[in-house]
Amino acid sequence: MINHSLQFANHALFFYYLVCNIAYLAMLLIALRATLKHQHRLKSVSFDTIKQSRLAPPVTILTPAHNEEKTICLAVKNLLDLDYPHLELIVINDGSSDATLEKLQEAFALRPIRAVYVQQIVTATVRGIYRSEVDQRLTVVDKKAAGSKADAINAGLNAATSPYICVIDADSVLERDALLRIMVPVLTDPARVVSAGGIVRVLNGAQLEGGRVSKIRLSRKSLDVIQVVEYLRAFLIGREAWARGNMLMIISGAFGVFRTDLVRAVEGYRAKAIGEDFDLVARLHRYLRETQPEYRIEFVPDPVCWTEVPSDLQSLGRQRSRWQKGLADVLWRSRDMLFRPRYGRIGMFALPYLWLFELLSPVIELGGLVTIALAAFTGALSRDLFLDFLIFGYAFATLISIGSVVQEELTYKRYNDWRDVARLISYCFVEHFPYRQMHMFWRLQGMWQYLRGDLEWKPLKRQGFDEVVTSRPVPRT
Amino acid sequence: MESVFELLRRLSPAALVLRAILVATAVDILLLAFILLRRAYRKRYFARRDAKVFEFRRNWDALLAGRIPFETWRSKPFERRIVEEIVLDAFESALPEESAKLLRFLRASGLIEKRIFEARHHVGWRRQRALVALGRTRAPEGIPALSEGLRDRSLESRLAALRGLERVASPEAGREILNWMIEAGLRVPVVPLQSALIQCCAERPQIVLPYLEHTDTATREIVGRVMGEIATPSLGPKLLRFVDDKLPELRAAVARALAQTEPKLAIDVLTELTQDKVWFVRLRAVVSLGQLCHPLAINPLLNGLCDSNRLVRLRAAEALVEFTRERLMIFERVVASHDKYGLYAYLAALDNADLQKALEAEVRLTYALPEDSRQLLLEVLRAGTLPAEQFAPEPLAAHAGASS
Repeated sequence: MINHSLQFANHALFFYYLVCNIAYLAMLLIALRATLKHQHRLKSVSFDTIKQSRLAPPVTILTPAHNEEKTICLAVKNLLDLDYPHLELIVINDGSSDATLEKLQEAFALRPIRAVYVQQIVTATVRGIYRSEVDQRLTVVDKKAAGSKADAINAGLNAATSPYICVIDADSVLERDALLRIMVPVLTDPARVVSAGGIVRVLNGAQLEGGRVSKIRLSRKSLDVIQVVEYLRAFLIGREAWARGNMLMIISGAFGVFRTDLVRAVEGYRAKAIGEDFDLVARLHRYLRETQPEYRIEFVPDPVCWTEVPSDLQSLGRQRSRWQKGLADVLWRSRDMLFRPRYGRIGMFALPYLWLFELLSPVIELGGLVTIALAAFTGALSRDLFLDFLIFGYAFATLISIGSVVQEELTYKRYNDWRDVARLISYCFVEHFPYRQMHMFWRLQGMWQYLRGDLEWKPLKRQGFDEVVTSRPVPRT
Repeated sequence: MESVFELLRRLSPAALVLRAILVATAVDILLLAFILLRRAYRKRYFARRDAKVFEFRRNWDALLAGRIPFETWRSKPFERRIVEEIVLDAFESALPEESAKLLRFLRASGLIEKRIFEARHHVGWRRQRALVALGRTRAPEGIPALSEGLRDRSLESRLAALRGLERVASPEAGREILNWMIEAGLRVPVVPLQSALIQCCAERPQIVLPYLEHTDTATREIVGRVMGEIATPSLGPKLLRFVDDKLPELRAAVARALAQTEPKLAIDVLTELTQDKVWFVRLRAVVSLGQLCHPLAINPLLNGLCDSNRLVRLRAAEALVEFTRERLMIFERVVASHDKYGLYAYLAALDNADLQKALEAEVRLTYALPEDSRQLLLEVLRAGTLPAEQFAPEPLAAHAGASS
């Protein structure tokens, strides 16, 4: 009887992974097609025309900053230098205990203003609003800390005056034309496109000059390279494919554009959300499905935002546990949308997929390991099935990872050094052991913490721009 | 000696791991080889291309003048693409005289004919590429082919044709787009359509007028917005008949267009539009009054400062702070209106323009201002709110010879 059950469990597990991998393969093919289509479409777009267009809608960039004194001035300067015709930049000093505000005051000649600030979304107390005398487009909102990035973004949202907001982390690096590129779908179809997300790439190992990426290289650390593969897979395959079906459920908090009125209509970011970016998109889907079914949330693969990823196991573990908690939190809150035709493909397809293949996958994976071990112990494990399963799982997962690297090579080709490409391909083969098992453990930890109600945000160790890269002085012109 | 295969068989489970490692390494090497070969091929291709570009640029004048026979490069797709790309790039920054020269070259060499043929007879991406290239040439003979592209079944091709016509930027291209809009309705998203119409009709805005009168609601809305962007002073009287139009977008467009016309003609109409029941019409009227910056606009702008809509109040305040000579009088009247939202909007606009200190100095230095009024104004300026016991300062205008 036990042997029979174990065999059944192992067959079910095999079937689960078969479906999961077929879904990934389908996404790979959809993403490849979408990328090629996007590249063809770009040929008819003139960025110079958009740069001078009177019709380009104003965009407010919201940049929350908490204890960013080392990098904030450079980050703000780079954001003000972005190519876009009508730009407003709001930096939210989220109760920094260091000299973030003082540095900004010094560098941009800030002066206090009595701007019209309507607290449409409730946030922690705003202590003051400042405007730069050097560049009128820069506003700084100084507020008390509330312990969440969402609260800071909401304070900026209250002060924003543009029809679109773009949320960018203060420690991220944007390419100069990133905002222009992310706005292309919005400009093409403003009535339907309500939001767009860009690609986030790993900054570790790259060289910076004057706060901009000057040379793209892979980091020497294995952990960083594995994350590059993960990011490529998640963005170039996952998000691209989901966006084609208008089922994109996450726009990275590091770089995304949203229609201001809609974000206000869903009462902004939820201050207590663990994954505030995912939470916002899920609530936008709900709101739009209920009010205006003709909408699109797009992913644009070419506007690049570079971000630093954790370089040590402890920080990475914390980050992944937090992501899993965020996923559990959002999916649990959206459970009433599951299998409800009213929510269209979000309720019928995207959310069930996320439940089954994202949220529950570490549990199923752990269950699989246990049943396989038990079956081996009791002698019920068919050697052939085990080998088939192992080879199949390994080959498929490697194929998907390699697919993302090949897609990168055939389309965007950011890694010019062949040694970097060789390393990326090699890591596609080796990431399954022991990284995958560690990842499973972190995610299980996240779920356990969520179930226990441990929602505390634990800080990640970041090295900062000047340490992560080889900086050279900016040439003066 | 034991064979490798026998060794593998004896290894049993470990053999599987070993095989996996071997297969992975082989795949890794094959994939890397493919990437490296592809890179090498592309490197060679670009090197050849760069050399050819250099060669063509060195002989550019001879090429343009036709001294190098067209047949020497036209029959080779690689070279033809390079020549065309150089010409199209040159168009982007060319002065009119140079553009005419480039166009003559495209005609004489047959490149335009080829692109027109491709735009008419190809489908999918190839057609889109031809449409974009044809637009970049700005050639008037390309307009019919581009116009046909507007009628393509694929949205991408229609957009490529529209962007092509936008590059041509001539009234003829504008007419084609307008006629197609009437014939087919809105078959492309609004923003690219408006952008193309603005580019094409800016030179001769009067071509848009007939379409304002004889089209359906959705089309009129777009044409109205376009008119709002491109109207010239000479169009002012013709636009007045749309002030009472039932479509708010059109009234808003008229309000926007009137900012480009004679102030004496525009102010009365704009004043009327600041009372419109639709907020964005009032907003447009207030913005236009601000752009006119005429003293007669002050009264309607002060009314706009007390509008029920926040955006209208903000724009009215921004416009009012631009009146430097009347600043004190305006501030007095803002205080006298007892509208705290209006006052707040005005003070915020003053702050944004960094004019608060200038106004404070003006209040202090104006001798004709009674002392109690001066104190009140300074207090309001300092506190940013109306005093609890509200009373209106005696208007400055009442004092003869008021000066600062």
